[in-house]
Formats: sequence, structure tokens, C-alpha cells
Amino acid sequence: MLKFSDHIQFQDSSVPSLFSFQQKGREVCAHLTDLKTEAFKYTPIESVLTENYFKVSKNAHDHTHCDCEKKFLPFEAHEIHFCDGALHHHLHYIEGAECLSLEDAFADHETAPYLNKIDLDKFPLAALNTAYVQEGIFLRISKTPAKPIALIYNGKSAGFHNIRNFIILEKGVTAEIFELYQGNDEAYFINMVNEIFVAPDATLTHYLWQNDGKTAVHSSFNHVHVKENGHFNSFAFQTGSKLSRCETHVLLEQENATALVNGAYVIGSQTLADTTTDIEHLSAHTNSDQIVKGVMRDHAHGVFQGKILIKPGAVQTNGHQTHRALLLSDDAKVDVKPALEIYADDVKCSHGATSGALDEEQLFYLKSRGIAEDEAKKILTSAFLNEACEAISNQEIKAFFEKLSFQI
Amino acid sequence: MTYKKELLEIKNLHAGVEGKEIIKGLNLTINEGEVHAIMGPNGAGKSTLSHILTGKPGYVVSSGEILFHGKNLLDLKTEERALEGLFLMMQYPVEIEGVPMMTFLKYAMNAKRKYQGLEELDMSEFMKTVRKQASKLNISSEMLKRAINVGFSGGEKKRMETLQMALLNPDLAILDEADSGLDIDALKTVFLGINALLDGKKSLLIITHHDDLFEYVKPDFVHVFSDGKIIKSGDQTLAFTLEAKGYTDFINEAKC
Ligand SMILES: Nc1ncnc2c1ncn2[C@@H]1O[C@H](COP(=O)(O)OP(=O)(O)O)[C@@H](O)[C@H]1O
Ligand SMILES: [Mg+2]
Repeated sequence: MLKFSDHIQFQDSSVPSLFSFQQKGREVCAHLTDLKTEAFKYTPIESVLTENYFKVSKNAHDHTHCDCEKKFLPFEAHEIHFCDGALHHHLHYIEGAECLSLEDAFADHETAPYLNKIDLDKFPLAALNTAYVQEGIFLRISKTPAKPIALIYNGKSAGFHNIRNFIILEKGVTAEIFELYQGNDEAYFINMVNEIFVAPDATLTHYLWQNDGKTAVHSSFNHVHVKENGHFNSFAFQTGSKLSRCETHVLLEQENATALVNGAYVIGSQTLADTTTDIEHLSAHTNSDQIVKGVMRDHAHGVFQGKILIKPGAVQTNGHQTHRALLLSDDAKVDVKPALEIYADDVKCSHGATSGALDEEQLFYLKSRGIAEDEAKKILTSAFLNEACEAISNQEIKAFFEKLSFQI
Repeated sequence: MTYKKELLEIKNLHAGVEGKEIIKGLNLTINEGEVHAIMGPNGAGKSTLSHILTGKPGYVVSSGEILFHGKNLLDLKTEERALEGLFLMMQYPVEIEGVPMMTFLKYAMNAKRKYQGLEELDMSEFMKTVRKQASKLNISSEMLKRAINVGFSGGEKKRMETLQMALLNPDLAILDEADSGLDIDALKTVFLGINALLDGKKSLLIITHHDDLFEYVKPDFVHVFSDGKIIKSGDQTLAFTLEAKGYTDFINEAKC
């Protein structure tokens, strides 16, 4: 049993199919003794999770008096808000999409074809999420929406927040999902799982900004299936929380499926940000590319684990991966663990990693033109990060991240 | 004779890098409006001098004094020296991927304006000012769109440095081998461009090997630099003697 299991406060779902879903998670969790698996070698999530993260605080957030309904993003989007793991209010109507609460979706058996796709024995946090899932949405997009769909998660009270979303893109649809995580200084642990299904000829662009509160522990796990000629493009930016893990697992299941899994993180003080990717090329003619860039100040610790797996028969595939770290302090550190597992011929795979400090010559050049040291460092840092944003096709969202990378 | 105001005074300077003494007792005074040229062989310490004047990390002054506008230059940070009116046209301008030239120019110009207590330039004013100076130097708007010095030829880099000098309007510009690697046409564009900026108040410290550029910018003083100090000073004719004799002979004669 996990050391913190006794502290978890939870109510079983009254929807029978959701209850049995939770039970499956509970069974796996019963065998878990700790989270110290190889996958968490550099990210000591368990030692950070004290009982404070599982107690619901006395001054629990009052949903009837909160600002979570306000618009958070500076660009046009359908915003859907969560507060402490709960879906905040009734769902918007989104033209071309069906958007249900998790309970409604389970009650209507909408989720049935999409269940049990994650091997819970392999992913302990997904098992925990399944066992203790509170809420989530079921989003099926059948027509290209006019604007991005934003999912905004506000952490307002201490506690263990589990959200499970199902995001389904039907054939030929192009959609953008923007996830924003933010919160206050309460000790909350947000444990998120998205199950994403990209049908043939569909394109999902997924953006994530993890800006959780500085005491928060964050885990978001995106489990993505991509069918023939489907595209999954993502950009995850991590700047908040005390310890965070952003894990993306993509299954390129049919020919000409592609994945672009980019990311960046900017961290300081004692924080840790982990980017873990696992791209499985299951079919011939599949392509993946990744570029992740991290900036570390103070005693911050960056972790990048990137795996590319080419299954037998997945010939003529391309899988590339790059991680670059910028260490702005002698006390900052980065751990990088790339892994290529290739079981097919005629493939092109590569991984590369670099780490270093700011270029003194460049800094001197800017300062010699009268630019103050702090500003010069910001200019160079944001230029470093911008390479990871380059592929973002939505110009408004690209500008949003570029501005952010300068301010942080 | 009219009274000349001192702009830069270097007094008995000893300085070096990584524990090695490179500047060995240098004295030089540059007054407002004067053009000085330093000529000397490779490795004499000319670039080192320019780096010490601009405060590049790693360079250490062991003794001596440098005054700029009467202030102790060595007390100022690199960026403060720039804001006080010192500009270095670098021998090897660095490339900075990811920072557009225009963004960089805007930061630099606004830093100067802020220091002078002026408002930031608005976008259209800024664009107009840059375009006007750029066209004088044959700098296309395509070049201005690129990242700092990325993919520029030697001549383009030097024209870009000249543009920065024009926009930042320093009191003293140090030109470190601004002529090296330029063909005749580029040499003419750059130095006529620099000459056009001279207003009787602005001073130049030109570091060079050859007298070719003197066709476009006339030095008031020429100093022969060898082994970390000035061994002889004179007017422009000194440069011609130097070119005729070659550095080795000239320096050997001067030592006798
Ligand atoms: N960063 C450095 N570290 C060690 N030696 C240096 C460094 N910079 C310059 N030097 C040495 O100082 C001397 C003067 O170099 P420099 O100032 O570049 O000469 P110049 O510009 O006159 O050709 C040379 O011997 C050179 O090797
Ligand atoms: Mg030199």
C-alpha cells in the first residue's frame, strides 16, 4: 500500500459504470507499495508528497464565491473551468463538439469504446487517477471548431485533485486544445490524465501551460492514439509548482501518423520539472519529432526522459529528439535519459542533448550596447526558448508563449 | 589655439588577461572631436585595449587609471560605459540566433533614451529612424529582419556595426579593425558612413593595420603600438612611413 493511501478522502461514484472503472484502479493501487520505479528515478515524487497533500483543508475553497468563471486567456477560446478537481459550472455549447461531464458520459455509455487503453500496472499515477478520479470531461469533436478549446484547472485548496478527460477527434477534424494549470500556495496535488484519440486525417494541436502554485505537485499524463494520416502536435510549457511531471505517451498506430512533441520549462529555487515522452512507432511510415528546452536557475532541477520505440515492421519511419538545457546557476542541474529502441530496418532515428550556460560573448555584446545585464540575460534566455515555440502554427498562441518566455 | 576638452585619458595603464600582462604602460589622451589611429602588428594588444576600455569580463587592470568624461571608467559596468557614450565596433561581432536585429536595436536605443531621461521611442518613430540610417549604409530591410549578425558576410557585419554607431550616437567610438576583411566598395561604404557621423564633437579611436581607410576618415594623430604600449606618435605621415618600412623594421629602428 502507498504510504499516503490512508489520507486520501474520497467518495465512490454513484454511476455504476464509473464506479467499476474506479474499482479497477483501486485493485491496481492495492498492489502498489511505492512510486520509486525506474520511470521516477530522477523525480522523487513520493518523498515530496506528505500527508498535507491529501487532507482537504479547513478553509476549503467556496465555489459559489470565486473568480474561476472569469476569462483567463488573452485570446479567443471556449474556456472550460475546473476548480480543485471539480468541473466548475455547466458546460458551454461548442459547435461541432459534444462535451459531457465524466459522470454523464459514463452514464450514457459514451466512454465504453475508449476504456482500458492504459496499462495501469505500468503507470502508477494513472492507476491512482483511475482509482480516485473526481471529475473530467468527455469531449468528442466531429467538426473543426472555430476557436481553441481551453481547459483551465484552478488549484485553490489543499488536497488531491484527480481529473480524467477523454478527447476524441473524429475523422478529418482539426482542433486546438489549450490547457492551463494555475493555483495558489495551498498544498495540492493535481494528478491529471488525458486520453486522446486522433482519427484518420485529423489533427490535434495540444498546448499546455503548467503554472501551478509554488507548493503544488503536478502530474499530467497525456496518452494519445493517432490513426492513419493523423497528427498530434503538442507544446508543453512548465513554469510553476514545486515538482512537476509532464508525460506524453504517443502511439502512432497507422501509416503516416505523426507526432510533434515539443516543450520548454523555466524553473528556479528548489523546483523540479520533469518532461517524459514515449513515442511508439507501431506502423510503417510514421514520423515523430521532439524538441524540449529547459532553463534552470538557483537550485532547480530539470529532468528529461525521452523514449522512441520502433516496433518490428515499422519500416521507413523517422524519430528525432533533442533536449537543450540552459543552466543559469552553478547549483542548477539537469538529468537527461534518452532511449532509442529500434526493432525495424530502414529507419532514421536520432537523439541529441546539450547543456550549458549563457554565452559570455553574446552577453558582452548586448551590454556593450548599453543594455542592462538583467535585460540582456532575458533577451538571450527567451531567444533560447523560442526555438521550442517555432513550430506553433497559431500565431496568437505563439505570441502568447513568446511573451511568457520573456517575462519568466 | 582653441581649448580642447579631454574625453578619454589613459594614464600608465598595465593590464592583461589570464595572469599575462599585455598592456605595459600605456598613455593616451583623446580630446573631444579628435580622430586617433593606433597601428601595430598582430598580437601587440590592440584588441585587448579595446576590451579593457569596454570592460569585457576576464581582463584585469593591474595599475594605472582611465578617465572618461572625467569619470573613473573602471568603476563603471560595461553597459554604463556604453550609456556614458563609449562604443566599440567589434573586430568579430558575435552572432545571436533567435534575437531579431530590430528587437535588439530597439532595446539598445531605448536603454540610451532612458538613461538620458527621454521617453521610449514609439514604434513608427523607431522604424523611421532605423530605416533612414540603414539606407545610407545600403542595409536592406531584409537584413534588418534577420537575427543579430546571423548569416551576415564580413562587410554586412561591419555595416551593421556602423548602423548601431549611427543610432546610439556615442562620444567615442573605438573601431577595432573595422577595415579588415572588407573589399574596396565595402570599405568605402563603411568609412564614408562613419565620416558622415563626425560632427566635430565625436571622437574616434581607430585600430588598424593599413592606411587605406585614411582616404575616407583622416586621423589627427597616428600612434604606433608595439608590445603593449605606444612607441611613437605623430600625424598621418607616420602612417605612410610605417607602411613603407613595414612594422618590423620600423619597430626595430624605434627601439635603437
Ligand atoms: N582571452 C585571452 N586569453 C589569453 N591570451 C589572450 C587573450 N586575448 C588575447 N590574448 C593574447 O594577448 C595578446 C594580444 O592580443 P590582441 O589584443 O588580440 O592583439 P591585437 O589585437 O593587437 O592583434 C596576444 O598574444 C594574444 O594571444
Ligand atoms: Mg585585434
